[in-house]
Parts: sequence; structure tokens; C-alpha cells
Amino acid sequence: MKKIILSLAVLGSMYSFGQLDRSVQPKAGEAPQINIAEPATFELSNGIKVIVSENHRQPKVAFNLVMGGDPILEGPKAGVSDFVSEMIMSGTSNRTKDQIDAEKDFIGAYLSASSSSVYLSCLTKHMDKGLELMLDITMNANFPESEFERNKKLFESGLLSAKSSPGEMASNAERKALFPNNNPYGEIMTEESLKSITRNDVLAYFNMSFTPQDAYLVIVGDITVEEAKEMAEAKFGSWKGEAAHKAEFNKGYFPKGNRVIFVEKPGAVQSVITIAHPIEMMPGNPDQIKLSVMNKILGGGGFGTRLMQNLREDKAYTYGAYSNLSVDRYGSYISASGNFRNDVTDSAIVQFLHEFTNITEGEVTDEELELNKMSMSGSFARSLESPQTIARFALNTYRNNLPADYYQTYLKNLMAVSKADVLEVAKKYITPNNLNIIVVGSPDVLDKLKKFDADGKIEMFDAFGNVSKKVEYTAVNMTASDILGNALKAFTSTASVEEAQAKIAGVKTYAMTGEASMSGAPFALAIKEYMAEGKKYYSSLSIPAMGMDVQKEVFTAEKGMTSGMGQAGPVTTEMTADELAEKHANFNIVGLDYLDLLNGEGVKVLGALEEDGKKLIVVQYTSEGNQKTAYFNAETFLIEKSVVMVELPDGSQAEMLNTFNDYTAVDGFMFSTSRKQVMGPQAVTFSNIVITLNEKLDEGLFKF
Amino acid sequence: MKRILTTSLLGMATLFANAQEKKIDFVEYDLANGMHVILHEDNTTPIVAVSVMYHVGSKNENPDRTGFAHFFEHLLFEGTQNIGRGEYSEIVEKNGGTLNANTSQDRTYYYEILPSNQLELGLWLESERLLHAKVENTGIETQREVVKEEKRQRVDNQPYASFIPESFKRLFKEHPYNWVPIGSMEHLDAAQEEDYVNFYRTFYVPSNAVLSIAGDIDIKETKALIEKYFATIPAGEAINLYRDVENLSDSTFQAKYGVSRADFNTQNFAKPSSKEAKKVYKTSKKTDVVIPRPSATEAPLTANIVDTVYDNITLPGVFFSYHAPAQNTEDSYTLQMAMDILSSGASSRLNKEIVEKKELAVQSFSFIYPLEDPGMAVVASIASKDASIDSLKAAMDAEITRICTELVSEEEFQKIKNQYENSFYSSNGRIAGIAENLANNYMYFNNTNLINSELEAYEKITREDIMRVAKKYLATNARVELYYLPK
Repeated sequence: MKKIILSLAVLGSMYSFGQLDRSVQPKAGEAPQINIAEPATFELSNGIKVIVSENHRQPKVAFNLVMGGDPILEGPKAGVSDFVSEMIMSGTSNRTKDQIDAEKDFIGAYLSASSSSVYLSCLTKHMDKGLELMLDITMNANFPESEFERNKKLFESGLLSAKSSPGEMASNAERKALFPNNNPYGEIMTEESLKSITRNDVLAYFNMSFTPQDAYLVIVGDITVEEAKEMAEAKFGSWKGEAAHKAEFNKGYFPKGNRVIFVEKPGAVQSVITIAHPIEMMPGNPDQIKLSVMNKILGGGGFGTRLMQNLREDKAYTYGAYSNLSVDRYGSYISASGNFRNDVTDSAIVQFLHEFTNITEGEVTDEELELNKMSMSGSFARSLESPQTIARFALNTYRNNLPADYYQTYLKNLMAVSKADVLEVAKKYITPNNLNIIVVGSPDVLDKLKKFDADGKIEMFDAFGNVSKKVEYTAVNMTASDILGNALKAFTSTASVEEAQAKIAGVKTYAMTGEASMSGAPFALAIKEYMAEGKKYYSSLSIPAMGMDVQKEVFTAEKGMTSGMGQAGPVTTEMTADELAEKHANFNIVGLDYLDLLNGEGVKVLGALEEDGKKLIVVQYTSEGNQKTAYFNAETFLIEKSVVMVELPDGSQAEMLNTFNDYTAVDGFMFSTSRKQVMGPQAVTFSNIVITLNEKLDEGLFKF
Repeated sequence: MKRILTTSLLGMATLFANAQEKKIDFVEYDLANGMHVILHEDNTTPIVAVSVMYHVGSKNENPDRTGFAHFFEHLLFEGTQNIGRGEYSEIVEKNGGTLNANTSQDRTYYYEILPSNQLELGLWLESERLLHAKVENTGIETQREVVKEEKRQRVDNQPYASFIPESFKRLFKEHPYNWVPIGSMEHLDAAQEEDYVNFYRTFYVPSNAVLSIAGDIDIKETKALIEKYFATIPAGEAINLYRDVENLSDSTFQAKYGVSRADFNTQNFAKPSSKEAKKVYKTSKKTDVVIPRPSATEAPLTANIVDTVYDNITLPGVFFSYHAPAQNTEDSYTLQMAMDILSSGASSRLNKEIVEKKELAVQSFSFIYPLEDPGMAVVASIASKDASIDSLKAAMDAEITRICTELVSEEEFQKIKNQYENSFYSSNGRIAGIAENLANNYMYFNNTNLINSELEAYEKITREDIMRVAKKYLATNARVELYYLPK
């Protein structure tokens, strides 16, 4: 048992009573000694290394079985390991998932697993039962087909939500930027890789990952070393398996010059900025503690760091900015990040770059060094309260071949770090001119980022950190006017624009009914839309099962109103004169929004492209104040889909995708009777659409 | 045979030793100014948790000044007479410590975890906070913005998070549980400096506070330090007299008390220099600070209150909430067991039936919101991608009805007890948790030792009790039903 002095300040405290001067901050008492117990270690007959950290404060014990092999690369099947972690407790050759759950809950145990470890924590008196379950999972997990399918669905939903989470997008881009090839940190599940994963892949990964050879068993808690020895050998000693998987990985990509990576999140009001580069360092490197002090001062938590002081306290660009140093045997890196409103995105990057440069150019101040070292030593001391910490130290020492007294001497080494040391490691490891600058944000901020890229070419990534595929249009030799004219003729089944216009003028009323179902809310929704000449309009979206209108809009030539469900019930609002005027301007009895654009003015022809074996002609124009991209079938000229940029209540923008299928002729007009609308993770499907024209409508529809 | 016998004897000895070790020893006493003190010594790790719990939460607020209790939790980091603005946290960090605070409907809790040689620093920091925090416009303006950010981040921007305020709002019409600690931003904007000062003078007084210290301390030495920093804080209204001496101008002070401010010395406050001032001091010391506590009782619901809330979500949610018994009552322990049979652990009824078998929900849960007065119980689900709301509601109701009309199985009953035993030990694994549990038990139940005896409360409960209590509280026709739909 080694003893360490926590702090340098050694001052006895003297208490005098009577008068008390409260303006004097008390001095520290004599520094306490910190004892880091040395855990017992031994090996089982099959080679499992066991680490035991006794702690009898509570009648609880924890077992952590950690595989000793290196991670297994997944390549095009990225995500297999996620299935292993999610499913390992979903059934064994002896127990169904229900049985595992019931037995585990019955003893109040906590049991969890990853793709290379299993962890159990329970009351000491239930240890036998808990270990039985842990062993069954470790040796006999059988990944049932039904559970595989259930989890696949869950992952599908997870990927959908990743696409709307800027934080996840940023983290994916960062991993891919730092470790683009031959490294497990750069492997990220995508919709494509998920599709290709089979149950057999999962089984193969599990069998390769889980083997007693080179594995560690960490036992912490209310158990004696003798008991642990007996128990570990009896339970785990007979487990046999292949040699552990060994692999060498690429240690990361070091950018030549600063490299800007952009991930588009249309409509974002904030940019997530990440500045990162790999670092060549293995755990236990004598520079590691010095570099961690440098990282703490730069932005490693708390208010007293440079990034926090500069970006939050001084500039108020953000709620928080932090840096992180990760030193790991498969790849090390430093990164700094924060969320910033759009208009300060480039200014914030300037400050990040300034701080990265600054820390390599001059010594930190005495106060900075003292504050951050004390803060680090305090958190180290507090971490020792948990018996898990002691065990983690032992495991790290083993796995990373650290000096045996690494943690025992940690505080002493931390306290010895000087200003010169901090500058020296900053110069040695930080590369302020070779950074990945990753921004997830609105395309509006893109132009301002060019100046940060060494060669001026910004790389575009998708939500999962892969190079995003750029849409390539081929030229079309038609004008905008020709395209919209053809679309109009196709829609009305006429031979000329004039004829089409006359035909539309002949429509006096329009009635549409249909069903709608929303992803996740498939109580049926009903939609209705009625129009009559003289600018009369009615539409509603309702839930028949709950007997309520979710949304309703009615207007006539004189006035208009909208109603919707507010948080406290239905709310009806009368349209303002401006709103009504806009509705009137956009009113079209057959729902066409390009009748005024037939001369081609304000319409941009983007070109043609192939999609799902169909050739599409793409134009862009403004529809009801929003930018709309319309995709017409190059043969039929009926609209296949459209993408509209809509404004959300919170002021941000989002893409709304509409697709149109199953065209039917109604009095010669070609209407789609099945449509889909997708916005972010949410999808609405419209089906059984029935449209009639020139039927007599109930005038009551247009009353208020 | 002999070996087995020895082993089991050894086992019993260990068990006995363990049982003794597991008990959490503490000493507790009152200071003359009414402050309650609880001390727990554990020298395993050289750290100490210093905490003060104030018996004030959002339920003590004025209905048109909601959010005050939580706002104070922020404001009281701004600085004191002797600690400059922004320095409070820095002092803690610089001395190797960490700090935080939180506010509930019923109480506000502040703590530091420090290296144990900094115990005195922790006491000084907390005594500064109690005696004379700076309650003034600069700090108020700053924290208003921070609290607004916090609300955006924690409530407005969190999917489904508003179900808590939305449910409380509908369940409680009379009782101040009608609103939640984050309160109303409009109220905070409308409040004047004076409102804040009055709140501080009313609730931040020694008789409304519990000082709870746990960790590597020496009891005797700690008591001496507490004498120094806390026993010297004036009792009753004298604390506000002290604050006035520090804050009022000579003339305002003279007008208010009819004596000269100069007659008082804050470093030796109990001994003013004039006879008149002594009298003022004595009178104010004897005048108790009156702390308003809500007395409203909420009438039971007579019908369902059904509403829809539109939120930034993908999957709809169904949230049923009910009136629940107050914490620590027999009914409360019993209802807790019913709730845990419904949803604690992967094998629980809601998870097995609704999430895994019927695949109607991605998550299904139930809990009692632990409160000092009768509060709220919730049974809720987040629908899965292809589920219908009607089927989900029916499935949830089936489980609720089942627990109200059928005895739970012996096995489930035992399972829940086993789980409680495990979590009982887990919750006392760290000194910071122990300090808070001790303070809670004293403040709410006047029974500090509940930390050692809580499991016994569950031992008395029978399976019949669970059915009876579930039936009493979980009526399917007198509850709040909230349906969360995507915006």
C-alpha cells in the first residue's frame, strides 16, 4: 500500500472563538493521505487474468468479464458489434429472453453487456445465481432469429433519428475524419450496412470476440480474495475457447493543412463545430499527464478553461465549449467542440483556431496551471471513493502495460507538471495548422467556411460520416416554359396550353376525401378538401376515432379562419387581411401552383436525372413563398415528387418530400390517388384519395 | 464435515460483521438558532460532503411568482458579502472540490464535495450562503437568462419532457403542486428586487435549514467548526437584522429600527454597543421567522381529464397520471410496490406485455413522483412505430386493471423485495448520497434513522395490500390522460 500526500498545502487549523472575521477564507487543514489499495491478481487455469478489489462497505459484489482480443473490423457490415451488444442477453441454448429477464430481476441484479464484455452486479448473497446467468450468456448466447428481426427494426428507427440529430452527425463525421480506414473507431452503421447484416454475421462476431484466452475478470466488492479465487476457478476455469483475435490498426489520418468538412443539416439554427486531429501517443506515455493538463487548461471541463472563457464568458457565442483528449491504444486524438448560432459560426472557428495556436506559442499563467491542476487532483481523489475505480486502474495497468505504480504516482506526477512542460507537450503534439474543422449546419453558413480550408475545397459528408453523393444533373434542351407547359398538358390531358387553361376554367367545384396515416400514430386520420369558384375553400384533417379535428382551414372571398389543437384544446384564429390576400393569390381550383409561371420567369431548370430506372426532369420555383423543387417524369410529364423547404414554428427550416403515385383520370384530369409526405423522421401516407369535379357542394362547408 | 462447519461459522461471523458495518451511524443535534445538524463519519476516502438543505421548494411560492425557489438555487452561487461575483464555484474548483445544487417542489439542496482537509472551507462557503448572499439586480439579471436557457434545454427542447408540468397542472387545482420548480419565465421577469430579497429573508434562515455532513471527518472537530461558522448565525429575525446592518444605509436603518446602525458590529453581533441596540437585537432574536407552508388539500378527481399535447416528437406518447399518497406513508410504500411490479426491470409486466410481446410501445414505465404532500403517480408509454394509440391504451389499461383486481404472484412479490434490498444498498454507496438521504429523512419525516430502517416499511406490506392500494389510487375513470402527438 502506497501513501501519497494529496496537496502541498500543509497548515494546521486553529480555531479561536468569540469574534469571527467571516471575510477571511479558511485555509486548508493538513493534507490527507490517499491510499490506493493494490488489488489482488491471479490467473485461472484457462488463462483468464483475475483482478480482485475487496470492499466490504456494502453487501454487494460486481463481476466484469472483459475480452482480451483486439476489436474486429466490420467493413461493409459496420454495426454487427452493435447487434452483439444489444442481443447477447436475448436468449441462450438454456434460457429464453423472458427467462433471463425474470431470473435476473428476481435477484435484483444488474446485468449488462457490450460486444466484448459482460458485467454483473448483485447482492453478495445472490452471487451464485447471478454468476450462473452471466456464464450462460457468455458461453451460450444463441441470438434467436425473432430477436434479431426485432432489434433490426429498432436500429432502423435509431438511424432515422440519427439523421435528425446534429450531435450524432458531428460525432460520426469526426470519427470518419480522424480514422477513415482500418480502424474500428471509423466504423459506423449506415442504412446500407444495416440491410446487409445477417444473424450469421452476428453469431460469427460473437464467437470470434468471446473467448477466455487473454480475457480479464475483474471482481469488486464484498468478497474475500480467497472466496474470489475459489469462485472464479469453479465458474470460469472450465471455459475453453480459441486464441484471442489480434489486429493492428491505422492510427488515424493526419490532415495536410487545415481541412474543412461540412455536414448539411438544412434549416439548422445552430452549427455544431468540432476541431480535431489524431495524436501519436500510447497510454502510459510519460507525456500523457502533461498533455492532459494542457487539455484541461484548453477546455477540459469547468469554467476556468480558455475555450470557456473566450467563447462563452467573453464572446457569448455559446452555452459551452469543451476540449477532450482521448489516449487509447487503438488511436488517440484531441478534439474541441461546441454549438454556435449560425451567424457566429465563422467567428467561433477563428477563436478555436486562435486557442489551438495560442497554447502552442506561449506559457500558461501560474493561476491557470494551479486552478486546473487542483481541479484535476480533486476529481482524481473523489473518483477513488468508488471501488470500481480501483479495479479500473488495475485493468488499465494490465491492458496498457503501464508501470505498476502508475496510479500510485499519478498525483505526484500531476503536481510536478510545470508551465514549461505544458508548452513543451503543446508544441510537440498539437498541430494548429493541420486540423479537421468539422461543421454540421445549415447550407447558409457554407460559403463562410471556404477560407478555413487549406486548398479551398470543402469536403461534404453525410449523416453517417461518408462522403455525400453529389447529385449529377444532365442537360435538358427544353426551356422552363416548355417543361411547365408539357406538365400542364399532361395534367389536363390536352394538346395545348390554351386548351388546358380553358379546361381548368370550366371547373366550378373540386372535392377530395382521403385517408392519412402518420408514422407512429396510425389511428386513421381523415383528410378533406373542398373548393368552389369565387375563392371558396375548406380543408380539414381529423381523427375519426377520437371525433376531433386536428386542423381545419376555411376561407371565402370575404374572410378566413384556421383552427387547430392547442395544448389546452381547439384554438380558432381568424386570418389577417394579409394572410387572406395571400390565400386568395394562391387559390387554384385544381391545386396547381405554376399556372402563373408558364412563361418560365423565376423558374430554374436544374436538368435531368435517373432515379429508380425513371428519367426525371427537375425544375425549381417558388410556391406559396417556399422554394420548391419539382421532379416531372420525362415521358409522361406527370409530377413524380417534389421537395419543399418549409419554415417550422421555431424559425428553422426543413425539407418536406412529397411523392405522387397511382394516377387516375377524373374528367380528363390526372390526379395522384396515393401520396406520401416525409419531413425529418416523420412520414404521412395519404391513400384512397377520391376526387370529384363539378359536383354540387354543401354551401355549409364555407360557413364559419 | 468439520471443514463445512468452520466455513459456515466463518460465514456467519462475516455476515454479522457485515451487518454491523452496513449500518449508517450518525449524530444529530440542533443549534440554538434552530439549525439542525447531522454528521456521519466514514474515513475510507479522504473526501467530505458538506451540504445544506432548505425546506423551501416551489410549493412555497406565491402563485404569481412561480419559479422563485429554483431561481434562488441559481442566485445563491452569484456571491456573498465576502465572496465576489463568480468566485464561489472557482474557490471550490481551485481547492479540488466540486459543487452543485437542485430544487424540488419541497426543498432546495446545496452541496460541495471537497478533499477532507477542506472541511472548514465548505462550512465557510455554506455559512456565507445562508447568512448574507448577495440578492441584488446584477445577479438577478444574469441568472434570469441562464434559467431561461436551462428551461429551453431541459424542458422545451426535450421530447415528452413537458408531460410532467402538463400533468401536475391538470391534477392539482388547489395545491401549489399545480406548477413545477422551473416555474414561469414571465413571473421571473415581472418580479422586482424586493420580491427576491423578501424570499431570501423568509426562507433562508437557520430554523429552516439542515446541515448534513458526511465523509472523512472527526466528529468533535467538526462540531467545533460548526459552532464557529453556524452557531454564530443569529436566530429568528435577528438574522434579518444582521442583513440590514450590512445592507441598509444609516438613515434607513435608523428609521426602521430606531437605533443607530453603528451600534452593531457584525463580527461580534450578539454584543451591540448601546442598550437600545441590545434590546432591538434581543427582540428580533426572539421573533420567529414565519415560514408559510401550503395547507390546501386537493379534492379527488371525479372524472377523466383528457387532453392532447403536440410536441417535437416522432412517436406518440400516452401519459396517465393519478393522485398519489404523500411520501413515507404506508399507502405510498404500497403503491410504490404496485408501480414497480408494473414496470421495474426487463421482466416487469409493462415491458413484457406491451413492449416485447405486443410490440405496441418502445418504452412503457410507471413511477411515483416522490413528494412531501400527496403528489402524483404516472403510468406511461411511448408508442412503437406501427402501433395504434387505441390498442396501446387498451393494453395499458388491461395491466392497470389487473393489478387492481388480481393478487400479484408470490414470485413477483418476492422479486420486488429483492430489488429493494439491492437498491437500498446502492443508494448509500457514496458519501454525497448519504449526506442527502440523511437530510431528506430528517426534513420530511423527522426520522433521520430511516436511512437504516426503510426496508422494514416494505416488510409489513402484503399482496392484498398492493391490490387494495392500487385499486384506491389507480382508477381508470378519475385520472389525467395526456396524448402526445407529433407537431
